[in-house]
Amino acid sequence: MTRNSDSGLSRRKFLIASGAAGLAGLAGCTENNTDGEGGSGGDSEGGDSSGDGSNELSGTIDIAGSSTVFPLATAMGERFQTEHSEVNINLQSTGSGGGFANYFCTGQTDFNNASRPIKGEEETQCEDNDVTPVELKVATDALTVIVNNDNDFIGEGLTVEQLQTIFSAESTPTTWSDVNSEWPDEEIQIYGPTDASGTYDYFIEAIIGEEGPGHRQDYSATEQDRTIIQGVQGSEYAIGYMGFAYYSESTDAVQAVPIENDAGEFVEPSLDTALSGEYNPLSRPLFTYPARESLAEEHVAEFARYWMENSTSREIVADEVGYVPLGDDEQQEMLDTLNAAIEEAN
Amino acid sequence: MSTDTESSYADGFGQVSRTAGTVFRYLLLGATMFGIVTLAVLLVYVANDAIRPLTADLGWHLTFFLTLVVPTAVVGGYLARRNVPALKLGGMVIGMLGVFLLFSGGVAIVFVDIVPPLTGLSYVVGLLVPAALTVVLTKYEQQIPFTLRVAATGAAFILSLVGVPGYFHSIPEIVRQLPVVPADWMILTLVLGGVAAVVVGQYVARIREDTTAGLAAGASALVLTGLAAVVGPTLGVDANAAAVVTSVAFVPTLAYAGGAAVTREQERIGLLLAAVVIGGSLVGAVAVDALGFAGPQSWVDWQFLTSAHSGTAENAGLYPAIGGSILLMATVAALSFPLGVGAAVYLEEYAPDNAFTRFIDVNISNLAGVPSVVYGLLGLGVFVTYLGQPTGTVLIGGATLALLILPIVIISSREAIRAVPSDMRQASYGMGATRWQTVKNVVLPEAFPGILTGTILALGRAIGETAPLIMIGAPNVLFSLPTELTSKVSAMPLQVYAWSSLFASEDFYTKAVPAGVVVLLAVLLAMNSIAIVLRNKFESEN
Repeated sequence: MTRNSDSGLSRRKFLIASGAAGLAGLAGCTENNTDGEGGSGGDSEGGDSSGDGSNELSGTIDIAGSSTVFPLATAMGERFQTEHSEVNINLQSTGSGGGFANYFCTGQTDFNNASRPIKGEEETQCEDNDVTPVELKVATDALTVIVNNDNDFIGEGLTVEQLQTIFSAESTPTTWSDVNSEWPDEEIQIYGPTDASGTYDYFIEAIIGEEGPGHRQDYSATEQDRTIIQGVQGSEYAIGYMGFAYYSESTDAVQAVPIENDAGEFVEPSLDTALSGEYNPLSRPLFTYPARESLAEEHVAEFARYWMENSTSREIVADEVGYVPLGDDEQQEMLDTLNAAIEEAN
Repeated sequence: MSTDTESSYADGFGQVSRTAGTVFRYLLLGATMFGIVTLAVLLVYVANDAIRPLTADLGWHLTFFLTLVVPTAVVGGYLARRNVPALKLGGMVIGMLGVFLLFSGGVAIVFVDIVPPLTGLSYVVGLLVPAALTVVLTKYEQQIPFTLRVAATGAAFILSLVGVPGYFHSIPEIVRQLPVVPADWMILTLVLGGVAAVVVGQYVARIREDTTAGLAAGASALVLTGLAAVVGPTLGVDANAAAVVTSVAFVPTLAYAGGAAVTREQERIGLLLAAVVIGGSLVGAVAVDALGFAGPQSWVDWQFLTSAHSGTAENAGLYPAIGGSILLMATVAALSFPLGVGAAVYLEEYAPDNAFTRFIDVNISNLAGVPSVVYGLLGLGVFVTYLGQPTGTVLIGGATLALLILPIVIISSREAIRAVPSDMRQASYGMGATRWQTVKNVVLPEAFPGILTGTILALGRAIGETAPLIMIGAPNVLFSLPTELTSKVSAMPLQVYAWSSLFASEDFYTKAVPAGVVVLLAVLLAMNSIAIVLRNKFESEN
């Protein structure tokens, strides 16, 4: 017990002593500061709470949605952040549909990226929560069908009909020979995005048809494009599809399948063929949807403008991320839409 | 007769052969090593990718071999043969310096970037004033009734921190609005140096059993911190950083080493090892610089630790995620520690042994094994959907992770409380103490190191969790530190996951991901080493 009370006593003494020392130190510092405020001002001013820099944008921007647009949004956010360090940009990859249903239309995010236009039911959901989506096209993507590097039997490419046979819920071939009797009698292993993905929706629209039997469900579905690449890379008889940006990161790992276009030519996906329109029907527009209500805030509006102003940049959109930038006309159109929405919001 | 019995025994054992036993023994060894070796191979592979030691000049390796490895091996070898406790002491000092340096980085993030020093100071003052009042009140324990004391203490804290709107401001607000404020480094010196001074002063007073020596040590700790902040800028070190690193890393290590040198005469030679390692590193660094040998082009570099995510792997960094992890851990600790220890004390000291208690008992053990993704769903369901909180904030993430580790904290705290000898409780009761006094004065102080160890290990689990954060909608990428409980947060494992899945390029896989893993593991090992040191100390005292 004596030992205990001893240590208790010394602890208390210490508290008092350090308190006294602290007070003395505080007094010393304040004095110092009055003396040297002019000199060391630049040093200490940054952390002060006094309202400095009223022109500086500040606030938080939350972005969710398509994993396809995610790298583009990240690239834009990164650049915007370096110019406006007080703006916090949070990005999340949830898939177009997942973003609309769980984040954007419930009012949790300011932007939703989408690799397909917004659906009617999503608009209704947004309306119920007083969220007004503003559609902005940000780039063009070439949806890319990939097969294993050792796959040589598909020849010069696949036709839309063949893709339809492979992926539709109606036919569900189990072997390649079910699609074309000249192809090997080996099981088709199919990889693709989940149904929360805009890539999935666009693939249905472009290949299988909205009214058609729908996408087959017995395939390996994932929101991670890397998993699709790894799956196809690992099996000679695998096929999958994804956005062009991810394919362009790993052109050595898998090969892109040339797709027969409306002119009957087999065209391989690339930035040039997507821009020229040769690569169809799988080239598609990519969108971001700011909420008009959020655009009333200056930092959100500024970020949307910044994105649109840089949507023609080859350096960001094509070289870094791997999509087709907007043309000048399209950009102007989008800027007009955006500015009108910002005006309406204010 | 006897031969008969022997032969029947031999029958029971089958054929006696030494080979079978040896094979069995090595199979067991193989089983033991399998997991460890596989993990070690992976970690070496990852570390090689992240740090790339082979990119350094041969001269660089040679210099450090001569200045660091050889002397350390010589001194270490000598101590290992002659004086193992001294070797342990030396290792302890080096480890302490390393771990504390790491933590000083974390403290710098929190007290410079997340909480501006002035805000920090304002809250420290706001807490110190009512705390001082509480100390005074405790002195007059006999005269003032208990309820009045509690009410006064509570009112003092609330008044000080919140104030009365319209009448007078809270103390933090007053401090922030002072017309003249000290520079950041002075505040840091005062607050962090003050804490270091109290800790060091107490430590020295205890080992020297001399209050004056303690006071002197505390004062010199404060002076040293201030001195570092003043001298730092002339050596090219930022004053704030110098103050933080000195108060968090150098001062405690110095105090420990100094204390050991004075009190442990047998082992003080071990400090030579620490001196050789630290001196060797410094000499090596200077020599390499002077001779112009290039070090390894590691991906874990200053740039990686201090910048945010970028589209190119070379420029990508972990800074917001490190800050996020620290804030999350602070929230988790603040939530799970009182809840967990409270539950443990109740279950061990108060709860009657009935069906209900046993039911809770079994459930807590089961909850500890529930997969983390289920806790993520719980967080999403309870906090986001039901309570309508925004997704992915520090508060939600911290609360979810706190729920996740709560069963572990409860179980380990109960173990620690159970380990307190019942003789001590009985002695306390025998002296007329109430149950509350016994818990407060005997059980908790005795069990505290064990409780702390368990909590730190549990925090180590929480810091590596990814699934719950994904479930509650934490952003995959953010560019700035979270500064409030309601800002969105990322964490180190989540950032590594985002790099490996969303940025699928080979670049991210070979550069940013291994670097992130190395940093995460370094933090984890530092936390665990503290837990282990605490546990060993605890065990050797008993």
